[in-house]
Amino acid sequence: MIELLKKTPLNKVHHELGARMIDFAGWQLPVWYTSILEEHRAVRSGAGMFDVSDMGRVWITGRKAGAFLDRLLTKRASRLEIGYSQLCLLCLEDGGILDDLLAYRVGTDQYLIVWNAGGIEQKLGWLQRWAGADPDIVIQDKSAGTVMVAVQGPAVCQLQNLKGVRHLPRFGQARTRIEDVEVLVARTGYTGEDGFEIIADATNALQLWESFMKQGVKPCGLGARDSLRLEAGMLLYGQDMDKSTNPFEAGLAWLVEMEDGDFIGKSALLEIRRRGVNRKHIGFQMTGPGIARSGYKIVKCGQEVGKVTSGGYAPTLNVNVGFGYIPIELATIGTEIEIMIRNKPMTARVVNRQFYKRGAQNEPQGI
Amino acid sequence: MNRKEYKYTVEHEWICPESGNKGKVGLADYAQSQLGDIVFLDLPAPGTQVKQGKKMGEVESVKAVSDIFAPASGQVVEINQTVIDEPGLVNKDPYGAGWLVRLELSKPSELDALMDSDEYDKFVAALSEKESE
Repeated sequence: MIELLKKTPLNKVHHELGARMIDFAGWQLPVWYTSILEEHRAVRSGAGMFDVSDMGRVWITGRKAGAFLDRLLTKRASRLEIGYSQLCLLCLEDGGILDDLLAYRVGTDQYLIVWNAGGIEQKLGWLQRWAGADPDIVIQDKSAGTVMVAVQGPAVCQLQNLKGVRHLPRFGQARTRIEDVEVLVARTGYTGEDGFEIIADATNALQLWESFMKQGVKPCGLGARDSLRLEAGMLLYGQDMDKSTNPFEAGLAWLVEMEDGDFIGKSALLEIRRRGVNRKHIGFQMTGPGIARSGYKIVKCGQEVGKVTSGGYAPTLNVNVGFGYIPIELATIGTEIEIMIRNKPMTARVVNRQFYKRGAQNEPQGI
Repeated sequence: MNRKEYKYTVEHEWICPESGNKGKVGLADYAQSQLGDIVFLDLPAPGTQVKQGKKMGEVESVKAVSDIFAPASGQVVEINQTVIDEPGLVNKDPYGAGWLVRLELSKPSELDALMDSDEYDKFVAALSEKESE
């Protein structure tokens, strides 16, 4: 059976730029244009842009939209000021993570959620199930008719066409125009750098993209998207967390409001918190040779103790790093572990998960 | 060195025959372009015996891991320490500074089974055509 890959409104541009395209969660997207390392460095030192149209964009509107999202999300959306967004989770009744997402409050009863490309049908179904037939909750997936571009890097505020949104605070969001294109822009991103994520009508995709091309913003692919987020200590849904992981073991307690309000999964999470977790998602740095990749075994004293969930080369730090789940008693910074790389145990050390911090002295770490 | 004198495998390794039944081995340009930025090389230590067509090492790019196969049988007599320290040389200069190991060939006649540069160029052209379909 031939499964047709979905194409973003910028698909043609990617081909014209000579990008190497791959299948990502059912989408045909560039993995790199010139080189993952060059693209990674452009974002760390200047400005790069990503076609992130694969991310789902779902509008929740209606008189009960806020109350509905408060019930579904791990942080209260109705408490957001208009013009702000927040990161939170969508949990199942048992506390397992269905997705991580950004919730924007665009108007009094107008919310936008931006979530990962994977499992869209299931997630929409989940929302529909809890919304039921309530006429005061309207759920509209507007992903298909729109484009989303992330412009990231320390130089974004120097870009002429972003002058009008420089005032936005982190996680702030506004409706405005970028070179005559109507956009919804937020000061958010997934790279560990300053940046904006911009949503526009699909018909304006090319104009928007070109306005950044003209200013020398470097097109970046999925490869750099992955290496940048890994280096910045950001988790990837489907690898670092999924339905079988809860926010506490994933180290995402900061995305969950446990103190007041009620949301689906909260009672299970209270119980999980009371009992304590058995394993923890940690960051590690390779001290021996080799690159850890997702799925590799983590070993301690000859025993398998966990699996690598993300791993790779950290270009800014020039070391090999990774994430994985290990038993809680091992999950302390400084613990020596080993990663099985093609049947050979290679030494690694548990370190702070945020390998790269913007503005910090990110000298290559000695080992 | 003239790339015309190199011999190639279907796995995109090259070997450059040298005097004294030796041969320098590297990865072809097509391999590096497919892998993207190379960040790690695992090469056999000097003294290791390798067998034609069998795995002798690994190459890792930011995105992928790939095996390196021996283009001919023999003993590893030297490895390129410069490329171990700077694996990106394989991307920059795959046929020159990005060479990997030097072999002492145990069966030099094995090279006859490999493609010459014209055959290899045709082989790659066909692959590239397939890819763009």
